[in-house]
Amino acid sequence: MPPPATKRRKLEQSEDESEGSFADFGEVDSAGSEAAEEVNGDDSDVSMDGPVDAEDVSNDEDAEESIAQRNKKNTPAAAATPAQKAPKRPAATLQDGAYTSESFKSNMFKLQVDELLEQVKPKYGKKEAPAENAMRTLKTIMESMPSRDALPISEAEKALKSAGIVVPFPSPRPPKDAKYKLAFERPSSINATGSYPLKMATKSDDGIVIDLVVTMPKALFQDKDYLNHRYFYKRAYYLACLAAGIKAEKKHKFELSFEKWHGNQLQPILVVRPNGDGDADDFSGSKARINIIPALPENTFAPNKLLPTSNAVRPKGGDEDEAAGKTLPPTPFYNSAVQSDANITAYLKLLYATATKADAFKDACILGRIWLKQRGFGSQLRKGGFGNFEWAALVALLLQPNQTTGAQPLSPGYSSYQLFKATLQFLARHDLSKKAVVLQAHNITISKGDTTPVFFDGPRGQNVLFKMTQWSYACLRQEAKATVEMLSDTVFDQFDSTFILKTEILKLKYDATLEIPLSALSLDPASDEYDQQLNGACRKLYETLSRALTDRVTSISFTMPAEEHWSITAKRPHEKQRRCILVNFATDPANANRTVDHGPAAENKQEAAVFRRFWGEKSELRRFKDGSITESVVWSPKDVSVIEQIVRYILQYHKIVQEPEQLNFSGDAFAHLISAGRVQGASGVAPFLPIMNAFATMEKDIRALEDLPLQLRSIRAADAQLRYASAEPPTPGHAPASVVLQFEGSGRWPDDLCAIQRTKIAFLLRIADLLTETESEYTSRVGLENPSQPASNQAFLDLTSATGFTFRIRIYHDREVTLFERQLKDKTLDAPSRESAAASLALYKREFVHAPLHSQVLQTLCTRFPALSPSIRLTKRWFSAHLLAPHFSPELIELLVVRTFLQPYPFAAPSTSTTGFLRTLAWIGRWDWRFTPLIVDFSSTFSANPADLEDAGKQKGMQASDLERLTTRFEAWRRIDPAMNRVVLFAATNLDEEGTTWTDKAKPEKVVASRLTALAKAASSAIRADEDALLRRINGSKDTDAALRPESLFTPSTSEYDVTISINSKYTAKASGKRKSTGQTFKNLEIQHATRITPATPALPALFAQDLLDVYGDSVLWFWDPEALDKIVGLWNPLTTGQRSWKVKPGWNSVPVKVKVSEEEKAKGKDVEIRVNKEAIVNEIRRLGGELIKSIEVKEV
Amino acid sequence: MAPEKALKRKAPTTVSDFTILPLTLPALPGLPASHTFTQHYLYIKPHEPSAYSATADRSLFLANIPIDASESSLRALFASQLGGARVESVEFDSSVPAAPLHKRWKAERRDDDEEQRGKKRKRNDVDVVAEGVVEDGESALPSLWASEVRRSGSAAVVVFVDKRSARGALKEIQAAAKSGRTVGWSAGSGLGVERYKSHITLTHPSTSALQSSINAYLSQFNSLETHRAKLMKHARTVPDEDGFVTVTRGGRAGPARLEEAEKKKAELEERRKNNGVKDDFYRFQNREKRKEAEVNLRKRFEEDRRRVERMRERRGRVKPEA
Repeated sequence: MPPPATKRRKLEQSEDESEGSFADFGEVDSAGSEAAEEVNGDDSDVSMDGPVDAEDVSNDEDAEESIAQRNKKNTPAAAATPAQKAPKRPAATLQDGAYTSESFKSNMFKLQVDELLEQVKPKYGKKEAPAENAMRTLKTIMESMPSRDALPISEAEKALKSAGIVVPFPSPRPPKDAKYKLAFERPSSINATGSYPLKMATKSDDGIVIDLVVTMPKALFQDKDYLNHRYFYKRAYYLACLAAGIKAEKKHKFELSFEKWHGNQLQPILVVRPNGDGDADDFSGSKARINIIPALPENTFAPNKLLPTSNAVRPKGGDEDEAAGKTLPPTPFYNSAVQSDANITAYLKLLYATATKADAFKDACILGRIWLKQRGFGSQLRKGGFGNFEWAALVALLLQPNQTTGAQPLSPGYSSYQLFKATLQFLARHDLSKKAVVLQAHNITISKGDTTPVFFDGPRGQNVLFKMTQWSYACLRQEAKATVEMLSDTVFDQFDSTFILKTEILKLKYDATLEIPLSALSLDPASDEYDQQLNGACRKLYETLSRALTDRVTSISFTMPAEEHWSITAKRPHEKQRRCILVNFATDPANANRTVDHGPAAENKQEAAVFRRFWGEKSELRRFKDGSITESVVWSPKDVSVIEQIVRYILQYHKIVQEPEQLNFSGDAFAHLISAGRVQGASGVAPFLPIMNAFATMEKDIRALEDLPLQLRSIRAADAQLRYASAEPPTPGHAPASVVLQFEGSGRWPDDLCAIQRTKIAFLLRIADLLTETESEYTSRVGLENPSQPASNQAFLDLTSATGFTFRIRIYHDREVTLFERQLKDKTLDAPSRESAAASLALYKREFVHAPLHSQVLQTLCTRFPALSPSIRLTKRWFSAHLLAPHFSPELIELLVVRTFLQPYPFAAPSTSTTGFLRTLAWIGRWDWRFTPLIVDFSSTFSANPADLEDAGKQKGMQASDLERLTTRFEAWRRIDPAMNRVVLFAATNLDEEGTTWTDKAKPEKVVASRLTALAKAASSAIRADEDALLRRINGSKDTDAALRPESLFTPSTSEYDVTISINSKYTAKASGKRKSTGQTFKNLEIQHATRITPATPALPALFAQDLLDVYGDSVLWFWDPEALDKIVGLWNPLTTGQRSWKVKPGWNSVPVKVKVSEEEKAKGKDVEIRVNKEAIVNEIRRLGGELIKSIEVKEV
Repeated sequence: MAPEKALKRKAPTTVSDFTILPLTLPALPGLPASHTFTQHYLYIKPHEPSAYSATADRSLFLANIPIDASESSLRALFASQLGGARVESVEFDSSVPAAPLHKRWKAERRDDDEEQRGKKRKRNDVDVVAEGVVEDGESALPSLWASEVRRSGSAAVVVFVDKRSARGALKEIQAAAKSGRTVGWSAGSGLGVERYKSHITLTHPSTSALQSSINAYLSQFNSLETHRAKLMKHARTVPDEDGFVTVTRGGRAGPARLEEAEKKKAELEERRKNNGVKDDFYRFQNREKRKEAEVNLRKRFEEDRRRVERMRERRGRVKPEA
């Protein structure tokens, strides 16, 4: 009977398991509900170990039993589920995997999310204990404070002043003649709230924040206290009394200060920081701060008085108006502020209830916190007013089953990722500033005129988003949209761009920044209305700018100076007017540089008048080509960007800024480093138009030749200059641009590679002949190449057009690939022959197949993304400046930049060369090429094309399986060549799955790739440091570090190189450039010259450098700047040139060295070793270079 | 630099069976002060090739030659500074740019050539390479460089006019090495600007020169092609010592193109797929498919987990960027 027995045992086991897990849930449930009960029953003497120590409670009392139970139950199954019992997060199992395939993006995504959650959650252990202790101490202190009798305001203030406390009254200050009195009584309850007790806190560099809510007794307030700030005065006094009480406590010492809660001056709070003394009350080790927040007991004021539509601040002497029934303007912000004080506990309850109902709620909140933090959002008014609390409340409300948001309610069974994504989807889809969402409240109508978003939570009577501004809401939606978009990417998992990357880096995220010192706004910081005025100024700024810039910008956001806390013994300080506001613009490259803005037609009198009023004298009536006569504004396309012109003009015209010279506008700061670096008009390819036109003409002329022996199939560009990607736009006299010419197929070609090459030369000679016969304006000459490989292409035709552009034509014959492949497989050939065939095949594929294809794609992309061409050119300039260019094929550099444009997440595609360049550098700095391939999906761009969408059945674009295949290929390379001697970087595209086309044969070598990473990292951290300095400056710091000069990123350091060869200035690239320019002083001479322009010959130092590469192979690494060619520097390769035992052919010039060895070894001739003969090599180089070399310096060891 | 100089003076004179000959390099302007007195080391021994060669006993093998060594400079070195031995020719093992590489068949085929080498060369019989032809002066493309340089640390075989000069030269070298007599190396000619300027001119040869070289090449190629076809036919018909006939391209049936064969194969497979039993016909097939899918899922999950673990190992924990 054995089989049934085992069966039964199995069943039992599984039952046990499931029961065990049920018990788990049960326990969590009970703990949770208990906590909630504690919260509910807060009228009684609530103890500290309420929600804070929810876990403690359960552990101490009944939980002990349940744990014991669980243990018992688990014992039989323990062997099967050891992971569950482990103290750490249980290892992910397959069950998770099967389950995640639907509820998470991918396995990888899920595993990374798990890892992330584990990392950011505080441990609630030893580290946090001191802070919790401090919290208990504070609670005891506050509970034992004596009551203070009701006093008139001035007396109450005086009484506290003697205790050294200044009451943090909000402005406007309470009137002198106020009839009400201020009093203090023991708090009715003290509770920890917020993310810390809810276990939704995240670790961060600023430490954790623990909110301690002190509910004021209801008896202190009267029904009408909600009016005219009266409640806030009482609250401020209450807070001051708490501060006085804690300060007076002799036994315990804390560091106290006041702060505006979320930057709202109506609601000051008391912030407790560790005293740093190291005594029992010091909680520095916890890296925490405790906020003491006074709260209003629920239902103190009638809720209908504080709806967003009612008025609670009556104008002075306005009692009669009210009596007259005149409707006063509503005060939604004030009302919501009062309500938010009353709702603290109510929201805590809501979040608790949600957390017990939906398991993944807490994790979703943590993901939301991380997401918000990386995007620079926070609850602070000045940070946009959407922070952790707002996120949690929003998710909780969306989880309500009967919510009436118009969106699908979220299901409590969703995974954390699903909750996170669905919430973002809600934010992205619904414009709450246009159509307010009102939950479970029917009598509310939100006025349409308001531009701030409304998400009204009926049961609690509060607009959750009341702190948001028009612009912060627009930014939030934009970010949500972008994230939803990137999460729907099926190929790449986008985990890093969603959670890991910090998005709010101004230099990377925005294209232009306007710095406005507060003093430029001419506000009075001492005024009662300062905060409102500043807010008003910002709103006006936003409205004016967004109206003036129209579709030139895609987003405008504000970076405000941070709020500061102040001492409890002082009045709230006035804001320093030295501080600045930053206005950040993300531009749309297609429109940003438009020079004409069309207004309404002249007949439309009313609108025209409005337009004129807005633009002032800049507006003029113009007649356009299409016959229309409209009001319009015209900007000059001069050096200053159009956006800067508009911003400066409009701010001055509308008198928002008094002194426009105080404004500091910066944008596209790196563009001047290359010629035509700014996007001109709507395209970035304008400087390349002459050569592209010449190319088109040449193609036409060749096609027109009648006597060609074979029909022409195609002429395709295969050169950086013909795909808008050369560092310098080509001008007459440039280096020849490669072009690939293909004839129609023919059976008359010889079937032998060497003979094919000779036949090609015959064809080239024939074309040259015919062209000069018919079109005399071309000069042509045939050149030779690859003398060592007779089977590779042997010749090219340089064709110079009348306009001075030169094209280098090579003939592509598609039979060659078959012949090479046959040789590769032919086992009767000897090894060197097959190696040569492999090398020739790679060269053939690169030159004739991939280069034209790559050029074609780049041409399309450069016209699609106006900033792509200048970004590539800037990046190439950077590579050259750091002498790295010879080690990277230009196509690889282009791919690196294209990646930034096609996979721009978490940003949008760059719209200036500066952002394109800086983001590329940031990515290179992060790229761990040892373990990650570079994969560019060209097809993703074409999805936006409607023509492609039509035949969607063909499944265009990269699939997840394609990515997997590429990854497998990459991993195979790493297995074959783990030391990375042959392939270091792996760069594949959907068109070129090989991945090594541009990087094979150690191009770059590992050392060079590491140097690239180091340089990119250094550049990125310089950018970060510059940004930090800027932020310090807008916060009023006086240490004005000089701003980062863009040039400094392009200054190479050559100190670490072993050999520096300085080129004679007669032969450097600059010198030859100068010679050319002197010839152009006279226009007539220039014209004469133009008729016989010859293509630039390769610079002599470049040929010399190539010789050095060939002669010294891998024993010396050579670096130079191909654009300047003023020096060539070298590095001894330590791997190959270290001292070693004697060898006849080590591959480098050696010097014999005697070493001490035993007699026995000596007999074998092992007493001589060799090392590289550096002096002789330097001498050799000097002889090889001859007059080219000015001097050679050698680094002294 | 003092200790290094001392080291230099004590430099060994022999290593295994090589004699070490220091060459004093010319002092040149523009070099660091410490580089005024610089020596280059040649390793020299009698030439002992693995295969028999007629000239071996009157040749010396030179390792680690300077990059600007040429036949004339070595000739001058022996003539003026090493006893005046007369050099017949010099064979270098490397050059920049490298000599054209002709694809050849493996050794056993070349053996035939070796036998023929001694005989008088007949155009059609010699040097049947796997592709193209070995160019002679007429059919070769014009050279791109006026002079060659050597790769760093390469070697050369110097062939002397007779046995005695070779032996004399070696003796002279050994004496010079032992006595520490200064042997100088003078810079090669045609380097520097001259070398690169001439290269630029040579890159674009005249049309007529090109045309005539192509014509010569193609006619040589045609005649060689017929010869190659003959050889192949020969290989097809003659059995080897085991009695097997080698299969070569171009048999009687006429060659089937590889592409065509592959296309046919794909076609066949397609037909079999359409006609055969579909693989979801039987229940067990479905079951196995499901099982396989599950296994795959499991495998992929495990893979992903390992990947994440590796990721954690190398870049630390997953942490949001500050």
